[in-house]
Parts: sequence; structure tokens; C-alpha cells
Amino acid sequence: MTNSIAEFEDAEAFLVIGSNTTEQHPLIASKIISAVAKKGAQLIVADPREIPLAKMAAIHLRHKVGTDVALLNGLMHIILKEGLEARTYIRERTENFEEMRSIVSDYPPEKVRELTGVDSGDLEKAARIYAGHEKAMLVYAMGITQHITGTDNVKSCANLAMLTGHVGYGSTGVNPLRGQNNVQGACDMGALPNVFSGYQSVSDPAIREKFQAAWHVQGMDESPGLTVTEMLEGAEAGKIKALYVLGENPVVSDPNAKHAARALKQLDFLVVQDIFMTETARLANVILPASGFAEKTGTFTNTERRVQLSREAMAPLEGTKPDWEIICELSGRCGYPMDYDSPMGILDEINQLTPSYGGITHERIKDTWGLSWPCPDKDHPGTPFLHRGRFARGLGRFEPKEFIPPAELPDEEYPFVLTTGRIRFHYHTGTMTRRIPLLEREAPTAVLEMNPADARRLRLKNGNMVAVESRRGELRMPVAVTTVVPEGVVFSTFHYGENNINELTIGAVDPVSKIPEYKNCAVSIRRL
Amino acid sequence: MKRLRKDRVSAFLREMNESETVLCPCSVDDRDNLLMPFEEGSRREPVGKTTNSAKGVLFPQKEDIITFMGDHISKETATDKVLVFGIRPCDMMGIHFTDRFMTRGGFRDPHYSARRKNLTIIVVACHEPPSESCFCLDAERKPYLDEGFDLQLFDAGDGYIVVPGSSRGETLMGTHAFEDSHRGDTAKLEEIKKKSLDSQRTRPGFSKAVERLKRDGPDEAFWESLALKCIDCGSCVYVCPTCTCFNVFDRSAETGFVRTRTWDACLHAGFTRETSGHNPRPTFGSRLARRHEHKLKFDVMNYNEAGCVGCGRCTDACPVGLGAIEIIEAING
Repeated sequence: MTNSIAEFEDAEAFLVIGSNTTEQHPLIASKIISAVAKKGAQLIVADPREIPLAKMAAIHLRHKVGTDVALLNGLMHIILKEGLEARTYIRERTENFEEMRSIVSDYPPEKVRELTGVDSGDLEKAARIYAGHEKAMLVYAMGITQHITGTDNVKSCANLAMLTGHVGYGSTGVNPLRGQNNVQGACDMGALPNVFSGYQSVSDPAIREKFQAAWHVQGMDESPGLTVTEMLEGAEAGKIKALYVLGENPVVSDPNAKHAARALKQLDFLVVQDIFMTETARLANVILPASGFAEKTGTFTNTERRVQLSREAMAPLEGTKPDWEIICELSGRCGYPMDYDSPMGILDEINQLTPSYGGITHERIKDTWGLSWPCPDKDHPGTPFLHRGRFARGLGRFEPKEFIPPAELPDEEYPFVLTTGRIRFHYHTGTMTRRIPLLEREAPTAVLEMNPADARRLRLKNGNMVAVESRRGELRMPVAVTTVVPEGVVFSTFHYGENNINELTIGAVDPVSKIPEYKNCAVSIRRL
Repeated sequence: MKRLRKDRVSAFLREMNESETVLCPCSVDDRDNLLMPFEEGSRREPVGKTTNSAKGVLFPQKEDIITFMGDHISKETATDKVLVFGIRPCDMMGIHFTDRFMTRGGFRDPHYSARRKNLTIIVVACHEPPSESCFCLDAERKPYLDEGFDLQLFDAGDGYIVVPGSSRGETLMGTHAFEDSHRGDTAKLEEIKKKSLDSQRTRPGFSKAVERLKRDGPDEAFWESLALKCIDCGSCVYVCPTCTCFNVFDRSAETGFVRTRTWDACLHAGFTRETSGHNPRPTFGSRLARRHEHKLKFDVMNYNEAGCVGCGRCTDACPVGLGAIEIIEAING
């Protein structure tokens, strides 16, 4: 997030796009709800589904799945046509505006209505609300990113925010809500193929030299590694021989999941490190049992870039170790000793090698709520919102994008769009939450949400079993008849390994980030 | 009537802690005020209002209730003696309320009853409201108790005036930690009680809301519109001193099977969902209505006492501002 959670309370307008906030980020949702209900903030929800927040929204833009770029370009078109853009801001703080103007000029409301299904009047109202308030926050989550145009979608969000001057001030910004307590931290620490910690590029010789000196090694590779989707492709092609999976369950979470399992079985050697036996761990040659969050000490970096200390509350279960100890021991046995005495020793190294974490020391976070990066030195107070005064790269660059349709559109054979997501009772592949009886009672099985009009046509009632088939597989599950989904769209969740919706999803990925298009594939449905 | 010097409280609790488990309010990182096992240095004045109610002492968030091992079934109940120091009158009234359900009538909960029998409670009366959200007077309760405690302490500035409420209390008061009362303490006690009543903010509306619900409660649309904000977290239920609904499940253990119960919340859809899939309370609004009608209408009709003691914890805990105070305000329009 460019901005911080506390700032939600003071926002005057929100554009929530591709985020079912009450389900997945309920505490942030509670701040949006309070701002709307108590302070009269204007809420725009852009989502094909009628998510709970939509009921409080001034406007619900129910665009077709996968048409986000068209919708966002349409909003920008109206903003420019009506002269609502932030002219001084654009002139002083951004570049490439003319290209932007020229591309979005081709997205008039009538065309956008055709592409997205959104009424022109609603689109105009939404554009005026978002552009017309000084403190307007744009909020998104996986509904924006999990498309073959995920990167384009994100850039279009940034374009809209810059066009209206909504970056670099309190209660504004482009705010992707991170899905896990520490996914921000994992990225910050370089668990990405192309960067060291703090997004320091592996292709920069000076950066490589810095890390080589600190770690007493030579010849670090300057080329980026592989993304997860590429690793599985490599495994299937026989190019990847061994894989070490930590805290991830790709057999359930990867698209076209049967294909993922097949790929893992091709490996010569699979190591899985997790706290429970997962579907992926069952395929492993070696399982390394790790400790849970309450059994270890370390830091988590949350969605607002805040680094917080988490302390061991109970001793690790016998036979398990915290992840860092397992990694250090493994490294030692492979011939490179890692002699950290504690997680604090690791944080010391992070402070030295990662400029944005330079001042986030153990001393400063041990008795506080933590600090948000960038925090370059020990006197720096941390940074609640980014790009104040100037963008991190200097000028904010508009990156206009043309609309590209999803990879697999419905046709006669597979007439429905399947979109996938989550519910609040389960976390990801259910490795942890499905062991909790109360949560399991609330949501025991996968269901397929279907619009009443479609259900009537297929002669289906609530709870009837159907076969859902895509080009990649077939599942059986009950339908939940609801107006939450529009006609022609069905929705399900990926929490259930025994009935895994990802056996149906498509392996098509975004060309830049390689994120799969979980939000759109074509399916057929027949009554059983 | 006796006196307990404030600087003697820790010594007294330390002494008690040798023969039973002593729990007292402890501020954690100066943020949450929780009932915690007494430890040297952990207890601090003032007592405050705990973030959670005291119900967990008698009805833990999670407990094993039956163990199955081969042919053997065991129902172990707690036998530890526990002394709770420093809970507030609203909490004590919450315990009285749950006693009715757990220990009397056609149903007697063996686990709750066993703990209750072994529990000694020292209440500290409120000489002023411990927090902004307190509304005990409006909820037709008082900031002190007339009966139903072992000992009740009244803050007299330099020390506590101690009043016994049971034979157990009388016995405790006979120990050396307690000193003779001062001359004039009887009058002083009345003065403290009066001041305490006067210091309570009143939020008129509770009885009006109860009447409104009894007469012709607000309609479905009212509850549905309130419920738009609810995020189904269950916090209001978990912190409530009178909410005792639970879920039961079986799990395998090393030596057999264990039946466990955990707190549950009537706001969750699965709480009322039937095996057929039918749910008589299918929406957030209908569940919110049920919860508040239960406390403010049906408990009053059944027991002549509301199921809300005015502690305000739900208002403190709710992340979206849907605690009892806000609900009552909304009912009254």
C-alpha cells in the first residue's frame, strides 16, 4: 500500500475494485464501513459480484469479469472530458501524460458500456466522486491482479490515481491489500526471482558486490531466477530436478491443479517444509516439520509496510523447528554455515544490507507497534505514506494500456465464466483453518454460486448437485443460488483440496508477473 | 465490615496464591486489561475494567468435557480452588445471570458447577465508571452489589472498606490481612455508594428500547440496515459476560477421543443452520435481531431481568460500532 491503514478513517471517497474487503480484510473493511456510515464518505465498489460492501456503496459498477482496464480507462476518459483531472499535479509530478490522454480518448462511455456492461450514467457518477474528492483512496486486491492483464490492471489503477492527484498525500493512494500477514515481508526480503532484499536488483553489479562481500561468496548469478509458475513448467519439462517448497501448497493453489501435481511428480527430489501434512507434502521425498507462528520469534511486515515483532508464545512442538533454524541448518550441511544466534541477529543483517529497513532495529520495535518502511536510519520515524512531494522514481510515469480480453472466453461448449475467490472462514488451501471445527461448520464444502436466472434455465434449485466442467477437468458440487453473481457467471472458492476448483482454472499467466488468471475461465454446467 | 490497605493487597493475594489459584486484572503492555494468574509485580492499581468479561473463569473459551478411552468414558471436572480478585459488579451480575442457566432448573452443567463451587470472588465496586462505555445504571444495575459476592471492596481513597457477602467472605475477612474498620466507615460507605451512583453517566434509552422491543420491535428492514456494517467477527459475543452459547466437537487424541466445547456465536450462520441446509436465521439482520431481542426482550419476559448488564464491552470490542449502546440508540431512533 502507498498509504496506511489509519488513513482510511479520514478518507472522503473510496474506489474499491477487485477486493471483497469484508471477507478478506475485515478490519480494513471495518474502517471503510465506519468512514461511510459515520462520516458520510462516498464508496464506489467495482466488482462483478455483489459483495457485501456493495450494499453500502453510492455506486456499484458491476463490470464483466476481466474488463478492468476498459473500466478504468473509461473513468479516466470521463475525468478528462469533464476537466476533473489534477492539472498542476500532472504538470509538476508526472510524465507521459499525452500518450495517456490519447489512449483513453478511445474509451468513451458507450464503448466502455459495450466492453464492460456498465451503465454510462453510473460510470460518470463514479468518475465524479473519485475525482471530486481530495481524499480519495483506491483499494484493490486479487480481483485486479489475478488476470493475464494483472500488470496492466495495476498500472491502470496507478494512472487513475495520478490523473486525479491522489498519490503522495494522506488518505489517498493506490492500496493493494496484501493477502497474508507477511507476504509484504516475504517480497521485501527478496523472496522474488529478480531482487535481493529491499528490491535491490540482482542485475546491478554494485548491489551484487555488496551482498557478496557481506556473505563472503563470489560469483552470484546476475540473471533472474524463475517464478513459481515457471518452476512447475520446468519440472514438467524435466528441466527442474529438485524443488524445496516452504509453507505453500501448490497441489491445491496452482491453476490447472492436476497439471501442477503431475509436474511435481516429475521431480527427482521434492522437499516440503510446513506445519501440517498438506496435499503437496504427501508428494514429498522429505518433509521438514516447521513451527507455527506462536512458536517462533521474528518480524512480520504487514500490508501497510509495517514491520512488527512477533514473540514466541510457546515452545515449538517436539520435533519441529522455526523456519530460520531449518534453513540455517540445511545451509550448513550443504557447506555454507549460517551462524545467526537468533532472529535478532538476522534483523541486524537486514538493517545493514537493506536501505529501506536500515532503521527498523530490534531495539526500536521491541516495545512498539513497529515501523513502516522506508525507514533508512535509526532516527527516521518511518513512512506512513509513500511518494510525498515526489515519486520514488522522480516523476510518476503514466503507463496507459489498451484493453485485452481474458484468455478463455465463454463459448457454446463452455458457456459460463467461472471466477474464483475466497470466503472469510477459510484461509487459502485450508491447511490451517479446515482443522478448526467452528470454521469448518460455517463453510464445510465448496459450493458454486449461480444467478437465479441461470438456475431457472438449468432447472436447478439451491443445493442441487451439478457437474462443473472446464477444458481441464470436472468437479461435482452443490449450487448456491444467489444474486451475488450476475447472469452467466459462477463463483467458487479454492479452499477445498478434496473438491479443488483449481483443477478447472486455466494456466494462462500475466506476461510480466506470471500470475495465473484465477479470476476467469470458461466452464459448462450440467445438472446431476 | 473491615478495612484492607491498598499496599497490603499484593501481600494478601500472594498469601492466598499459596493455597489456590489467584486471578487478578493485569494490564498487558499497558493495552489490554486481562484476568491473569497473580504474579509478583504484575498486579497494579487501579483495577480498571477487564477487556474480556470474567466468564472465562467458569466457562473457558475451550475445554475438554468428555474423554473416551476404549470402553472407558470419563467426565472430568475442575477441582482447583480459584480466587478472583478485582472483577467489577457488572461482571458479578453476569455470573449471577449465567448461574441461572448453568446451575439451576432442568439443566446443570457439571463443569461450570464444579468451577463455581470452588470459586471465591472479591469484587471491587466502581467509585466511578472505569470506562467511557459503562452504562450499568441505565441497564438497571448498580456500580456496586447488594448481595451475591464473597467480599466487596469499596475504594475509600487511602484503602478499601471491605464488606462480606458470604460465609466464605466472613472467613477470609478474619485473616490477618484485614484490619478493623475505622470509626465512621458505615457513614463513609453510604457516602461512597451515593457518589458512585452520581458519577455514573446515564444513557437514557435502555428501558425505552426494552419497551419498544416488547411492544412492536423494529421491523426486518431496520435490522438488515444495521447489519450492513456487521463483519461477523463474533467479538461482541465473546466479550459478553452473559453469552454462553457453545459448540461441541469430537477429535481424536493419542489415547482415544476427546469431546471439546468452545465458545460459539449466534451471529455466525452455521449456529442456526439445520442439517437440511435450511437456516431459520438466514441473514445478518435476522441474527443481529435475535441476539439483541434475546437479551433485551425475551430475557426480560422470561426472567424479569435483561441479559445485558451494561458493561459496554461489546461497544469497546466491535470494530464497526455495533455494540449494545449503538443498538439501543438505533432502536430508540
